Amino acid sequence: MGAIDQEALARPRQEKWISVVAYGIAVIVVGILPAFLSSYIQGVITRFLIFALFSVGYNVVFGYLGLPSLGHAAYFGAGGYVIAVLKMHYDIDLFWVGAPLGILMATFIAAMFGILALRVSGIYFLLVTFALGQLLYSVAWNVKWLNTPGMQGIAGLSLPSFGTGGWTLDPISFYYLVLVITVICIYLIRKIANSPFGHALIGIREGEGRMRTLGYNTWLYKYFAFVISVIFSGVAGVLFGYYNYVISPTHLGVGTSFLPMCMCIIGGTGTLLGPVIGAALIIFVELFASIMTPERWPLTLGGLFVLTIMFAREGVGVYLAKLWNKMSHPYGSIKS
Amino acid sequence: MEALRVEDLSINFGGVKAVNNVSFSVEVGKRLAIIGPNGAGKTTLFNLINGQLSPTAGRILFFDQDVTDLPTHRRAHLGQARAFQLISLLQNLTVLENTLLTLHGTKPHRFKMFRQIRDFKEVFGQAVDELKKVGLWEKRDELVQNLSYGEQRRLEIYLGLCMQPKLLLLDEPSAGSTKEECTDIIGIIKNLESDITVLIVDHDMDMVFGLAERIIVLHYGEIIADGTPEEVQTDQRVREIYMGVEECIDYASDR
Amino acid sequence: MEQFVINMLNGLSYGMVLFLIASGMSIVMGAMNITNLAHGVLYMVGAYVGWTTAVKYGAPFVIGLVAGGLGAGIVGLVIERGFLRHLYKKPNEQVLLTFGFVYILTNLCLWVWGGWPRMPFTAKVLAGSIEIMGKTYPKARLATIIIGFVLAIILWWLQDRTRIGAMVRAGMDNKEMTMGLGINLERVFASVFFVASCIAGVAGVLGAQLLGVYNALGLEILLLALIVIIVGGVGSIQGALLGGLLIGVIDAFGKALFPRLAMFTMYFTMIVVLLLRPSGLLGRKA
Repeated sequence: MGAIDQEALARPRQEKWISVVAYGIAVIVVGILPAFLSSYIQGVITRFLIFALFSVGYNVVFGYLGLPSLGHAAYFGAGGYVIAVLKMHYDIDLFWVGAPLGILMATFIAAMFGILALRVSGIYFLLVTFALGQLLYSVAWNVKWLNTPGMQGIAGLSLPSFGTGGWTLDPISFYYLVLVITVICIYLIRKIANSPFGHALIGIREGEGRMRTLGYNTWLYKYFAFVISVIFSGVAGVLFGYYNYVISPTHLGVGTSFLPMCMCIIGGTGTLLGPVIGAALIIFVELFASIMTPERWPLTLGGLFVLTIMFAREGVGVYLAKLWNKMSHPYGSIKS
Repeated sequence: MEALRVEDLSINFGGVKAVNNVSFSVEVGKRLAIIGPNGAGKTTLFNLINGQLSPTAGRILFFDQDVTDLPTHRRAHLGQARAFQLISLLQNLTVLENTLLTLHGTKPHRFKMFRQIRDFKEVFGQAVDELKKVGLWEKRDELVQNLSYGEQRRLEIYLGLCMQPKLLLLDEPSAGSTKEECTDIIGIIKNLESDITVLIVDHDMDMVFGLAERIIVLHYGEIIADGTPEEVQTDQRVREIYMGVEECIDYASDR
Repeated sequence: MEQFVINMLNGLSYGMVLFLIASGMSIVMGAMNITNLAHGVLYMVGAYVGWTTAVKYGAPFVIGLVAGGLGAGIVGLVIERGFLRHLYKKPNEQVLLTFGFVYILTNLCLWVWGGWPRMPFTAKVLAGSIEIMGKTYPKARLATIIIGFVLAIILWWLQDRTRIGAMVRAGMDNKEMTMGLGINLERVFASVFFVASCIAGVAGVLGAQLLGVYNALGLEILLLALIVIIVGGVGSIQGALLGGLLIGVIDAFGKALFPRLAMFTMYFTMIVVLLLRPSGLLGRKA
């Protein structure tokens, strides 16, 4: 290794400077500010964080591997349902029990569904993941054990307990729990993105045939990526179960599956933090629309999708993604 | 020693026999060209040898190991490298990324998830060396699609060699190249170490006759001639199919 | 035996509706590479328009069918010409856009027609039942089978025996070549999309005889259409017909034999097909 190689490995200093400022602002906005806001706004930001985590994980399959999944809500909801069933049938709200079980359940289902879904590729992958997701939806809808009597879904959930006597979690502590978990998960995904494994995924997106001749077992990569992505959906789902107090079949259905996909596209598919921006946009538009016109908010949301695709496809989304590419490490390239 | 042995290989596409009862073997270090008119089954044969397709009948032996049912990536690990046409470079990634992906492909750590790709200093150093050798180090951050055609071909052939293959499959290396670039490629292949076996499919007769020690002619999926360039050139059936090899050479040099 | 025949007829009539809704989507997907998630909503629009024409204003059933078909067709054409046209070869964007229209059209229908749980819709001509093997059987279901069958033959003929069908099939195999032949692919695509939307609308009016009309219909039907496409294979009328009838019949027998597991029989079929033939029963190999 000569001097030039060391030089090649070092990152330009200017980039670091921008990142420091950007992360500083981020720390203030999500780290300190919420403590002084109303609990309603805290709730909204918690929701944003959960969906940001969901989307960043989803992006591993969607942006990175290039496979459009429309069934990730099934795994997200599965995590939530584990929390709900534990609470309803066994009266367990211990985080140390619920979280691992929820994540395991999501992973287990994905490990089975992944085998089916990865038998096809491209847009057919979307069809199959969609149909498999709806399978869980109809299970949740039809199985009595998974519904509180008299309603669809399970109500009466609570924030998790940690087994520490005399101290229960209030919304702001829960917010910080979600924040810490989300940051850790995004950090892990970033690690994966920059690893040989992560780069192989991008290679598969760009040309699976070539990757095979280079010696990559592409099916196994796709399968691992799918399961890894779902682990993060499971984490998000568990947090969502605690956060939302109610979990219903809708959270397993296509409407929910669709959210991370939108967030990725609007924020910048295949970039690390693009989905976070997308999540912020969608959650807040959803919030305003549901306050302003409760009955017509699907119209507003649908209109937003159409407008984004028609006019901001190369505009807001890509522009923001480019901005963020400068600040954080992009998925698709190793800068030297 | 035989590098590759193909026995009674056949494949059917909905009743059409794209490759029909093909048998041949190649000694280690030989340069073999496969030629034939369009639709003769040359690329299909390549796809069978490299594992993109599996045959309806027959066997493929690679260094005496039966690889007929092995997937492509396993054959890569055994020492098959393929370049050009279907398997071209990843156009939307940079030169450096393409190089790193190639180098990592046959290494055991290619599944590592939590170590940064730039921390594999040894591989990175190798990539630097290779790119300098090809003369593309300055363009390492260019997307491959922004390289000239000649540069892409050169990079691709060197990346194929990075894998330290025992068998190099070249699928129409001359397609789209200028005459100088073809000469360049011929030069690279001629200078290869003598333990690398090379199989070439090409239309360009300069390329084929400039390189091959042996030529197999395919026609409608069957071998109709197999021998040295001189033998093939004088073969009556080959002449019939090509309506005179001379004409064909003229055609090739016109391009 | 009578029960078997009744189940079979139930399955076939339901299957015909499934075939009609899946056929358009499958062709659009295979020929144009467009994933139109709004296809189910077009079905719903057709059903609502047909309901207004035939029930509210008491027009003859045939007029209702035509109105429903045209209504959905026009909405579809607007989506294609106004929006999807700019998104050829961009599958992810198509998905986002068409799902946006699912939200928009569902909410608009809610606005116009209200959120009634299930509006019954049986045309006067089709009311009542006739006797089959000693049992009464609703006329509406028989009519659905017959109309579905006739439409299947027409579509088959369109696909295999006409110029536009040949263009669509050629387009599927080789887009560049078709362009090279000087065929105006844009116009072909627009017509295909219009026809597919019309069929969705007609399917809506027909299906409403069996299922009624309600606001969540769009997504439910979309799911069924996707299952039919996965089972039958993308891109051909035959595939949609086989898939539709198979799913319809399996669902009918599932409901009769294992009422508690009825919802899962079609998923089960789908999973088996995926394991054995990932590209669908009559699909081409990917």
